[in-house]
Amino acid sequence: MNSHKPQLLVIVAALITLLITTGCVNVQPVAAESPAGAQANAAPAADPVDAPEVNAVTEASPVGFENVVVSTEWLAENLDNPAVRVIEVSVIPGVYERGHIPGAVNFVWHTDFVDTISRDIVSATRLQELARDAGINDDSTVVLYGDNNNWFAAWGAWVFKLYGAPDVRILDGGRAKWEAEGRELAVAAPTVEPGDFTASGANANLRAHLADVRQIVEGDVDAALIDIRSPAEFEGTIFAPEGFQELAVRAGHIPTAVNVPWAQAVNEDGSFKSVEELRELYASVGVDGSRPVVVYCRIGERASHTWFVLSQILGYDAKLYDGSWTEWGNTVGVPIENPAGTIWGAQ
Amino acid sequence: MAQHVEGSRPQAAAFLHSKQGVRTGIAVAVLIALAAGAYLLHQTPGRGAPASFSLLTGVVLGLLFERGRFCFFCIFNDLIEQRNSGPFYAVLAALAAGGAGYAIVFGAFMPNAGAGRLPPAAHIGPVSWALVAAGIAFGLGMALSGACISGHLYRLGEGYSRAPIALFGSLLGFGVGFYTWNTLYLGVIAGAPTPWLPAWLGYSGALAVHLIVLAALALVLLRRIPEQAARPAQRITPAHVRDAVLKERWPPLITGGLVGLTGTFAYLRVEPLGVTAQLGSISRTALDHTGWLPERLNGLDTLAGCATAVVQTITNNGWLVSGLILASFAAALLSDRFSPSPLTARNSATALLGGVLMGWGGMTALGCTVGTLLSGISAFALSGWVFALAVFAGVWLGIRLRLHAL
Repeated sequence: MNSHKPQLLVIVAALITLLITTGCVNVQPVAAESPAGAQANAAPAADPVDAPEVNAVTEASPVGFENVVVSTEWLAENLDNPAVRVIEVSVIPGVYERGHIPGAVNFVWHTDFVDTISRDIVSATRLQELARDAGINDDSTVVLYGDNNNWFAAWGAWVFKLYGAPDVRILDGGRAKWEAEGRELAVAAPTVEPGDFTASGANANLRAHLADVRQIVEGDVDAALIDIRSPAEFEGTIFAPEGFQELAVRAGHIPTAVNVPWAQAVNEDGSFKSVEELRELYASVGVDGSRPVVVYCRIGERASHTWFVLSQILGYDAKLYDGSWTEWGNTVGVPIENPAGTIWGAQ
Repeated sequence: MAQHVEGSRPQAAAFLHSKQGVRTGIAVAVLIALAAGAYLLHQTPGRGAPASFSLLTGVVLGLLFERGRFCFFCIFNDLIEQRNSGPFYAVLAALAAGGAGYAIVFGAFMPNAGAGRLPPAAHIGPVSWALVAAGIAFGLGMALSGACISGHLYRLGEGYSRAPIALFGSLLGFGVGFYTWNTLYLGVIAGAPTPWLPAWLGYSGALAVHLIVLAALALVLLRRIPEQAARPAQRITPAHVRDAVLKERWPPLITGGLVGLTGTFAYLRVEPLGVTAQLGSISRTALDHTGWLPERLNGLDTLAGCATAVVQTITNNGWLVSGLILASFAAALLSDRFSPSPLTARNSATALLGGVLMGWGGMTALGCTVGTLLSGISAFALSGWVFALAVFAGVWLGIRLRLHAL
């Protein structure tokens, strides 16, 4: 009996060590999640500028279909390319986890791209942390894709462009097309080397605030407005599509806006229409790049899809009004157009 | 199994009993139809692999539940009244295998357990007095109606006549749950914590604690295993295998282990196991149509669990439940356990009332013995353990009050 004791002790000790070490690996917080770690991470590069918005013209960024939209074939061939970083932004919980494009990291739109407290986009500091944890460098090609027609991938692309990421692209057709083609998916979250991405100050040329839109409505600034919601929302027949919780107490649209539902920019398989078709589509409502254009929707996310088309694919001077209808329609004293005449609370 | 009356078989069942060929034929036809259904679902746009996988998961569960008699009420009743803990080991094995499986899946889904997030869609719910009340009501309902909701679903396949009545009762109970939801949510649920063990201990630490607790329970319950009959030494022949698979009840450890494994695969591919999401959604949709549903169910759609929704279609969970019932029917035919039980006014009323209690409990706890208990504990959620204890207490109370013998 006694002779077995040392062996038993060794085995027990080994098991305990194994448990402790594996347990600790899991417990250790990722740097980005703890403020101290984040600071350490941010130290080598310059601090991002948070408050003042830079009013400079967009830097020489790649504009044109082939520079901002990647095909599924291209991405499949570039999965091992260290210069390419892939981000999935899907809405349905568990979609990324149950299978994503190999090497893609997960960004959650409602916590990683927005500030959960201030109804604003995520701060430059926070985006920089997240981007570095995702292995993004200043010279990376960032490719975004997601479920729900790439809506939130486009929102992510807008946030990345806003904070100065030079090369941001969208996977044509998004997750649905990649899946439909039966392409490879991975389950495990990738481990990546931290990147050195540095967020710049927010680029004011890409974002419109309520006051900017008001100037357009009042004729002080010459710019077009595109409402990308459904015709029923635009006309004021309904406040919001069924099932959506975030509402405005007024129905209708911002005066002078034209209605081009976002889906008109894509083919049946969710891929973008050709540059020629897109140019014609928006020219038919008077948006041809000769003057600035501002796009909006209900909460700001879907409109980023159209913003991407106008700004990145067509190269127009386009801004996203992310406050959108839930801000404008709820704001006291701003004018609206309400062709259907629907009034909140009236029978 | 108190309600199972053998011997007095109605005519159709007596016919089936006498014709083994007919039974086998129907069972094989049902299983082939299920396989074909899974294939067709996979080809259907908008359904695809998740629906198909859910149907097949239901088939596996139906076979396991029927062959292993994985009925929470029967298992609890055996322990409480018969003082036999043998069947309870199926639950322990399911939780052990499920915990190990979830730890592996979590590690891939969300490598950093301490990041302040919860893994996607896992059944980790708020722990409050509402959960305890829901569990006790659910346990009382089990005693009254003779089975839990998953138990009724598979026993429906065995011809248990009270099952459809209890399931209808649970639809009503869900409706009651929707009515009381806003009050409970604002009063206790909204402010309740959602403790998740891996957030503090990591996955290995949580799994270690999980397995130690289960092992301790298993050790304590050993005393309640009845004396085993000595088995003569014998060769394993194909006839033995046939009897072991088709006639005899599957051993608890095998049944439970496979249930845990099935739960892991379900979470990996589609969603955590649960059987009340489709039932609750039927109830919610019907109430929505009548305009009786509260206009806003506060916070309900943001909580993880057997999520209900207003739906116009069969959800993945609906396919799972369909597969479960039909596969259990096939298994019952193959093992000659299909036997419609006699129905009386009294046992119908208790089934209905028990169903209502289970529906309310299942809605308030965001799941039943499968969703909140099995999938929740496997996911290292404290809510799963609290619900389990409350359900057990409810069943114990129900048996003490002789509700199961009414």
